[in-house]
Amino acid sequence: MASALEQFVNNVRHLSTHGNFRELCEFLNKSNEVLLKNTQHLDNVLETLNVQQHSLGILAVLCAKFNAAGGGSTPDNRYTQVQEFIVGCNGEQIRFAPDSFSELCHLFTNYLVELKQPVRGIVLLQKAISKLRLYDSQLTSIHADLCQLCLLAKCFKPALEVLDIDITGVCQEIAHSPNGPQFDAKYFLLYYYYGGMIYLAVRNLDRALYFFEVAITTPAHAVSHIMLEAYKKYILVSLLLNGKVQPVPKYASQVVTRFMKPLSQPYHDLANAFTMNNTTELNNVLSKNTEVFTRDHNLGLVKQVSSVLYKKNIQRLTKTFLTLSLSDVASRVGLPSPSDAERHILSMIENRQIFATINQKDGMVVFRDEPDKFGGPEVLKGLEEQLTLCMELDKQILSMDEEIQVNPQYVKKSSGIQDEEQPSKSTYAM
Amino acid sequence: MVVNDINQLAEDLEKQELEAPNGIATPQVYEQLLAIYLYQNDLCNAKYLWKRIPPSVKTSTPQLGNIWAVAQNMWKRDFPAIYKALNAVTWSEPIAETMRQVQDAVRSRAVDLISQAYSSITLETVSAMTGLSQEICAPACIERGWLVEADTKMVHPVRLGREPAGQTSSEDQLYKLTDFVSFLEN
Amino acid sequence: MPLQAINTMAQNAVEPMQVDAPPEDNDNNEEESYVVENPSLDLEVYANSYTGLARLYRLIYIIDHCPSLRLEALKMAISYVMTTYNVNLYQVLHQKLAEVTTAISVPDVAASSTSQDIPSIDNLWMETRSKKAALKLEKLDNDLKNYKSNSIKESIRRGHDDLGDHYLDCGDLSNALKCYSRARDYCTSGKHVVNMCLNVIKVSVHLQNWSHVLSYISKAEGTPDFSEGQGKDANQIIITKLKCAAGLAELATKKYKSAAKHFLQANLDHCDFPELLSPNNVAMYGGFCALATFDRHELQKNVIFSSSFKLFLELEPQLRDIIFKFYESKYASCLKLLDEIRDNLLLDMYIAPHVNTLYTQIRNRALIQYFSPYLSADMHKMAEAFNRTVPALEDELMQLILEGQIQARIDSHNKILFAKDVDQRSTTFEKSLLMGKEYQRRTRMLILRAAVLKNKIHVKSPQRETTGNSGEITVAPGTSTAVSART
Repeated sequence: MASALEQFVNNVRHLSTHGNFRELCEFLNKSNEVLLKNTQHLDNVLETLNVQQHSLGILAVLCAKFNAAGGGSTPDNRYTQVQEFIVGCNGEQIRFAPDSFSELCHLFTNYLVELKQPVRGIVLLQKAISKLRLYDSQLTSIHADLCQLCLLAKCFKPALEVLDIDITGVCQEIAHSPNGPQFDAKYFLLYYYYGGMIYLAVRNLDRALYFFEVAITTPAHAVSHIMLEAYKKYILVSLLLNGKVQPVPKYASQVVTRFMKPLSQPYHDLANAFTMNNTTELNNVLSKNTEVFTRDHNLGLVKQVSSVLYKKNIQRLTKTFLTLSLSDVASRVGLPSPSDAERHILSMIENRQIFATINQKDGMVVFRDEPDKFGGPEVLKGLEEQLTLCMELDKQILSMDEEIQVNPQYVKKSSGIQDEEQPSKSTYAM
Repeated sequence: MVVNDINQLAEDLEKQELEAPNGIATPQVYEQLLAIYLYQNDLCNAKYLWKRIPPSVKTSTPQLGNIWAVAQNMWKRDFPAIYKALNAVTWSEPIAETMRQVQDAVRSRAVDLISQAYSSITLETVSAMTGLSQEICAPACIERGWLVEADTKMVHPVRLGREPAGQTSSEDQLYKLTDFVSFLEN
Repeated sequence: MPLQAINTMAQNAVEPMQVDAPPEDNDNNEEESYVVENPSLDLEVYANSYTGLARLYRLIYIIDHCPSLRLEALKMAISYVMTTYNVNLYQVLHQKLAEVTTAISVPDVAASSTSQDIPSIDNLWMETRSKKAALKLEKLDNDLKNYKSNSIKESIRRGHDDLGDHYLDCGDLSNALKCYSRARDYCTSGKHVVNMCLNVIKVSVHLQNWSHVLSYISKAEGTPDFSEGQGKDANQIIITKLKCAAGLAELATKKYKSAAKHFLQANLDHCDFPELLSPNNVAMYGGFCALATFDRHELQKNVIFSSSFKLFLELEPQLRDIIFKFYESKYASCLKLLDEIRDNLLLDMYIAPHVNTLYTQIRNRALIQYFSPYLSADMHKMAEAFNRTVPALEDELMQLILEGQIQARIDSHNKILFAKDVDQRSTTFEKSLLMGKEYQRRTRMLILRAAVLKNKIHVKSPQRETTGNSGEITVAPGTSTAVSART
């Protein structure tokens, strides 16, 4: 083994045993070159280090292995090594180098994507996230990797476990940037974009819209392609869910209105046809822009939008009619035959989107109001749940407010302007 | 099998799939999981599972394709085709029980749907939606209290009210109520 | 075509009037491309109720939309235009005449007998008329210069007015407007100001510059002397003129309700405004706008029991019948009468573009009023009452229900309309649950946003991002297929 590496191992051991992790991190940042020069010996280095005790050292070596061309060693044992490391590493130690740790996960993710075995990384990345984050609702850049692997593997349940937790804080991974600790906006956008797609895939439109909305309201000085794609999907999901395009929140960056809207003209055309309940026009837009939609990988969604228009029109009928013949339903919503209408109505009844009864004898449909709406104990239960959720959120806001109240910077500022303007007691209350 | 057990089994199988060496689980795991998704009427997950099963496993295990055929028809809500697909194959032992339960679940959903969605329906449609012959259907309908017109072969289903969910104790409610009021007043 | 010229003028009002401007495809065209077949209009009487450009423009509107009256209207217009200095319009009218006569004479050789009373274009007249116009212009210009050098305010004002009158006579609207406006600086009394306003309003109406019209109306109404009233009768005339002009402007900008209110304030005894409209017009415009926008109570108070407007209604007995039938809920005969006078309305240049909208609104009002006392109504009877087939009625009702104008639902099987009572309890539940959901969503977003801002997450321009991964702005390929591959 080259002496530079011996030196390296000794330093890692020494600093680790004395708990001098900050110093160790600095040392590791400098030794990157040494490691890259000696890729063929890295496996030997790994053998001399202990996963628990020298986590940071192993992390640096593994990163170097991924960064080296060709994987460094034959046979390729990187998967097993990363597996051992993520399962066995010491969480406290790796939190001293969150940037390297997440970097390793990004490299590992890319590696699996290239191998076309995304499913193998899912469990490991879950583990990695739980080691890096300090609390459950903290976002790390590994979140985006996990979502990417789940999307590629078409296996969504593991991602949902993470996605269902609302983020309240962000892990400051890039600790050594000139502007203070930071988090790369790219991974933030990717997480919300991929997350939106996963929710779409499992038909949770409400959440999907929320995620895309987060993506497009991310502060921005430039157009990001991720934001643009998120914006297109935002329009489509908005139509699917609400039947119209939900306005983009005012606090979104100007970039959204100035650049993204003109870049998504076909989607706006589609939305216009949809809001006018015009099936023919919608199909025109669809056939005219099929190429664009296909290129954007949105054709499937667009087709869903067009099929939802039938349902929306049937729902409009329920508002105006008590009874209607199946053939009238078909002609009014533009379906080819009464039996098509019956199929649509049947599936809408099953999904509790409308309340109706079909009379096959006369070929009529009777539209009803929702039966026993808001009666019975389950309503109370639902109300209680909603109330509890609201109360929890309120508590959270209050505690955030308190945090700000005692923040020295805030106190300094607010006392300065107190004469002119009374600072509102709860800055975040809605 | 009790519902909870099935859910537990599903979780186990999902875990097995994720931890499988080289990312490829055994055909049995895929088969059972797919069948359970069908039983849970979780067609979304069934579809993605089908998509992620490696092609080599699909070719070596034709039964997977048979299960998938059932799922496709469920997706299309084509009741006659579902029953046909279910009964076209003799299912192998580990999943035979589940597939039988799938059939029961589909049938009971169909019956619910009929009672919710129709005020009158032809016996023929009932038979198609339940996968039972008209001779079996007619008495079964009468047994449920549905009126069957013998001459026109029209069935008039009776809508069932949904059964109320479990009651919570009044003490618990009082506690929650106090919570809400104290929240609102502060 | 003069009308299109007017439309283009409306858009660039300062341009000199180009009577034979190329027809432009502006958005008003769809309203203009109809043909009226069977009007019951006495053209002579109609034309004689207007003077000046008003008569010419109205005749031209008829020429463009009614083949059966075309020739007669053309003859009238030509003989009338010869009393003015409007040589351009004379030419245009002759062009139109030529189109009509060739169209007639080609298939019909025997028509030569009629050709005798068809005027032929008189080039000599055109030449002398143009010269005379130029001479008069020069004289007026010189006069004005003299007045100015003597700086006699009143004379200067009159000089401007005279010049404006002359330009108007020549059909040069924008110069007329300029002259009339310039008189403003030389007004010495409130009466002068009002006079100036009226002149500007008149020209602006011809230019269809409605915001201009409205602003000068309020200027006139705000003039102190005028509001105090000296010479009561003269004042009444002016008030009525202003109300009519205001009504016209509101009508043209589709504010039917306020148009109705303005017209209803006109006074028949003082209604003398042939440069713009006739008392019959006031009755029609006011009556229809009121019918389309007033509720039953307003209709009763402001129209039927209005002593002043009653006199207007006497001028248009058909309209009076329509309003009374409507008020008496005799919708079938009301709607029938409406259909009868539709053709005449379509020949009126100011109300024609609004006929369809007003008619629909009147129908809707009738439908709503008809159903208002009922819990359920037989649609067969209703269709009878409204001269409609049941399916057509069903469509109309559906629209009204969707717009929330009628709280009801249709039993299409038995063709019965049922009133629907709103379930207050459910809607309250629905609203509050929705509100709760919305609160949760927004609050979550807020907490997240606070974290984002705290961590200074924002998308920077790619150039500065070179330190990061090059993949910053591209979405990883292949990932989105997962979604698009769904059925």
